[in-house]
Amino acid sequence: MRRGMVIDLEKCIGCRSCAVACKQHNAQPAGNWWNRVVTPGSDSHLTAPVKGREYFLPVSCQHCRNAPCEKVCPVGATYRSDDGSVLVDFERCIGCRYCMSACPYGVRQFNWEDPQKALDKYGYQNGYSYGYPKDYRLKGRLVYMKKRFKGVVEKCNFCVHYQEKGLDPACVRSCPGKARYVGDLDDPESVVSTLIRDKNGFNLLGEKGTKPSVFYLPPRRKEGVE
Amino acid sequence: MKRSTRTGLAVTGFFMIAGLAAWGYQFREGLVVTNMRNSYSWGLYVSGRAFFVGNAAGGLVLSSLIYLFGVKSLKPFARLGALTAFANVTAAMFAILPDIGYPLRLYHMILNPQMMSPLIWDVAILNLYALLSLLYLFLLMLPDFKGPFKRLTRRIKDPESFSEKWAKRLAPFTLVAAVGIHVITAWVFSTQGARDWWHSAALAPDFISVAVASGTALVYLVCMAAYGARERYQDAYRTMAVFMSVAFFIHLFLMYNDFFIHTWYGADHALEPLSVLFKEYGVAHAFEVAAPLAAVILLLNSRVRRSAAGVIGCCFVFILGVFMHRFLLMPGAFDRVPLTITPLGLQDQQWSVPIASGDYGPGLDTFVTLYHYFPSGVEIVIFLGVFAYMCFLLVLAMDRLPVVVREVES
Repeated sequence: MRRGMVIDLEKCIGCRSCAVACKQHNAQPAGNWWNRVVTPGSDSHLTAPVKGREYFLPVSCQHCRNAPCEKVCPVGATYRSDDGSVLVDFERCIGCRYCMSACPYGVRQFNWEDPQKALDKYGYQNGYSYGYPKDYRLKGRLVYMKKRFKGVVEKCNFCVHYQEKGLDPACVRSCPGKARYVGDLDDPESVVSTLIRDKNGFNLLGEKGTKPSVFYLPPRRKEGVE
Repeated sequence: MKRSTRTGLAVTGFFMIAGLAAWGYQFREGLVVTNMRNSYSWGLYVSGRAFFVGNAAGGLVLSSLIYLFGVKSLKPFARLGALTAFANVTAAMFAILPDIGYPLRLYHMILNPQMMSPLIWDVAILNLYALLSLLYLFLLMLPDFKGPFKRLTRRIKDPESFSEKWAKRLAPFTLVAAVGIHVITAWVFSTQGARDWWHSAALAPDFISVAVASGTALVYLVCMAAYGARERYQDAYRTMAVFMSVAFFIHLFLMYNDFFIHTWYGADHALEPLSVLFKEYGVAHAFEVAAPLAAVILLLNSRVRRSAAGVIGCCFVFILGVFMHRFLLMPGAFDRVPLTITPLGLQDQQWSVPIASGDYGPGLDTFVTLYHYFPSGVEIVIFLGVFAYMCFLLVLAMDRLPVVVREVES
């Protein structure tokens, strides 16, 4: 089993629902976004760099097979679970940020201050807070917690806390364009493997040799093109 | 205690306390009080660490020159060499501590080391080098111990020859460990394929050459403070000046060789860090090259070497230039977002995917592609505190321990 994701750029409408769902479900502190959606080539999101030439690119942890973040972590806080997901053990991380420097995708985020303090900066009404409320341990390791420690690194965990309930990651479930798929990359008949094979799935920064488990399907047409 | 020693200890002590207080404040508030953010995750602390590691090379240069290559004229300075090595390698470890987000968990480095991580090798080799340089210093001082230390050497019949014999035996090991600290420090950076600025085979040899130059400069400076520009030492001083300049010229070659190859080939990902260096940090780059260059050219002149103020000035400017070089490790790596792509369907365009800054505020951008870093006041005070520790240790040891060999005066 190697858990992977396919994102169909043809179907992505750039609405950032996945980013918001991810942020809310995973209780990300102010300023941190595990998942971001951009309009490549444009300074402003949802604005075409050239008329009729826009597409949208969601980027979160690529769960690389040759993950630099995993290799540089001095204490094994970033590690690979049995299904190939790259996870962070919040109880182990010492906060050296070596992984953030080593990651070419810029998906790793740091708790620069107390997360409650950071949340307060948002100024939500009546103490509104968000996020899956319970801690989640995978074989004893704390891979999800709502209130993070100050000074630790965090990133996409493939919604590991929902997996045993049989639920897909929040970004997959919340996508109004149904652009995201998860499945087993080791199984040639899985939906993800079939899509990658049939629709020319590609990786980001393949030349870096990181072997990501997130694949993208190129858009056939651009919005607004006759 | 001399008045100058007292003043030195008071000033450095003050900066140490200020640094500690700043670290305490940062510990309470989090690293948000630094100017590092998600897209610029390392800054002055990591640069500072590389700076101190480089300065720690002085001990290696002297001990290997004396005991492996037989340059006897340097012998009076061997103890100061080992002392500066110890002071700087420990300073390097202190410099990195405030960079750790959750320092109370550092014990995991021992309990759960992940052997693939260059940082684990780094911690191991720094500790080994600190131990070796301390042992080396102890061995070299052994014949002249007084007071409580004397008791440690009671059983040794002939301390002079014991010290000589073991210093010679230990020299090859300290040489290996000393080369090791620079190579592994360089590997921490150069193994990162994400950062084109660092991902070069030239980085490790370059770190060695910079370290040999700056380590020697520091020992030269300390020697000048301790012994002055006396005629009897001029031979040794000349050797140090030549060593510094050769190492610095090798560094210039390695650095510009790397730049040349990238510029000639002209790939965007390699040119981008160079444009950061030459356009945004052009003045800083001019300083990192011109200041040490001027210093070594002056030091190659025997008249300059005969003026204590001249030598101290040159070495100081040289070390300042090396510090700038270490500071410039970061902008080339972090000013540019590694996830830079050619958008589908667009010609000749390189576009960087913005990174969540990690900080929220009314006037702040949530996602950034450009982030200009300059250390915050807290970072500067902490760094100065570590620098002050290094100086404090040197001043204190020179006052209390037999590191300055007085008997050669007779």
